[in-house]
Amino acid sequence: MGLLDFDFLDDVRRMNKRQLYYQVLNFGMIVSSALMIWKGLMVVTGSESPIVVVLSGSMEPAFHRGDLLFLTNYVEEPIRVGEIVVFKVEGRDIPIVHRVLKVHEKEDGTVKFLTKGDNNSVDDRGLYAPGQLWLEKKDVVGRARGFVPYVGIVTILMNDYPKFKYAILACLGLFVLIHRE
Amino acid sequence: MLKVYVRRTDDGRRTRYDNCSLELRSGELKTTILVGDHDFFFPTKFNENLFSGSGEEVEYGQWQSIEEKPVKIDKWDSAALKNALDDASKKVMVDNFGFQESHSLMDMRLAICTIAVGFSLFALLWDYLNPFPESRPILIICVLSYFVLMGVLTVYTTYIEKGIFLVALQKDEAGIDPDNKWELSSILKKYDEQYNLKMTYIDGKTRITRSQEVTKSVAEFFDENGTLCMDLFEPEVRMLQGRIAAEGKKE
Repeated sequence: MGLLDFDFLDDVRRMNKRQLYYQVLNFGMIVSSALMIWKGLMVVTGSESPIVVVLSGSMEPAFHRGDLLFLTNYVEEPIRVGEIVVFKVEGRDIPIVHRVLKVHEKEDGTVKFLTKGDNNSVDDRGLYAPGQLWLEKKDVVGRARGFVPYVGIVTILMNDYPKFKYAILACLGLFVLIHRE
Repeated sequence: MLKVYVRRTDDGRRTRYDNCSLELRSGELKTTILVGDHDFFFPTKFNENLFSGSGEEVEYGQWQSIEEKPVKIDKWDSAALKNALDDASKKVMVDNFGFQESHSLMDMRLAICTIAVGFSLFALLWDYLNPFPESRPILIICVLSYFVLMGVLTVYTTYIEKGIFLVALQKDEAGIDPDNKWELSSILKKYDEQYNLKMTYIDGKTRITRSQEVTKSVAEFFDENGTLCMDLFEPEVRMLQGRIAAEGKKE
């Protein structure tokens, strides 16, 4: 009976306009807080995506699938051989985490560099856009500064089962919207 | 004299009451049926026509609007308990005493929250239109403003709102002096059953402040199913108001 009667909505039905609006704002503030922490991290680290999850095993044994990486991308720090960079390639949605293998640096500061996955037998030229031989500064999302193992596996699961992700988000959202403080 | 069958719609239980006299006080929160010496309170307003003849069947639990439906909550949820009692005392102050609710405290909080959410929405939009490195200065402004506003909100709720959930204005009868103010605030700790209700009266003309409070277990106002017993709670609010009014007369 309980569900058919929609008794659980009584709380919402009793609210006046201000309370309803506050309920929506409350939901908005939860989302906003997460968003502003993310944007704040972007500003502080200089990277457009300061936290990424490793999706492939190409960097084993350094990083495994599901590791969480923390990135920074300061303009003044030069890119050096041996560093692990996260870069984007035209035509690919997902950024790649690989190690820098070769660097060519001009005096004016422009760089060209080549990358390779620790666990791959060849360098990354096959992964770059057709005809592209080198990566440039503009392709870089950030450089790995720290990592937390396994935590990102949740993200991988969510991405593998999008329906599961949306179901969880919908449930949480609904709960916040109909539940008073 | 009436013969009334009262049937509860939730479990279908039917009780017959003979020799009832009925008292309908319009404008009040409850309907009273007198059976012998007993008063039966119904939290709903009955339609008078139901009682036109003898032997009518009355359905307990039929309400015209959500306002009249008895408040039933999860009795283990302390936030729900507090909300239910707060709402009930608000109802007594506004519906029974005819005080006018002033929304300015709540409106200020809504304004702070709206501006904060506005900043974050703007940051989202701006970052979408001008991808990251260009949007940096605007993002810094938005992020800082947002967190400052969250701080302001915390200060506002702890030092200015202080748990006040109702500010009611009592219009001056002559319409000359400023309105008298009644404020209600309450405390119910998360793992405690003691509900503390505080009523503060601020005289419009003399600015004299008087307050009274009552602390009682929530169990006294809710039945086993978690339904709020308005007939048990209402006297508490009336008592607070009465005491303050009496104090005023003494002076």
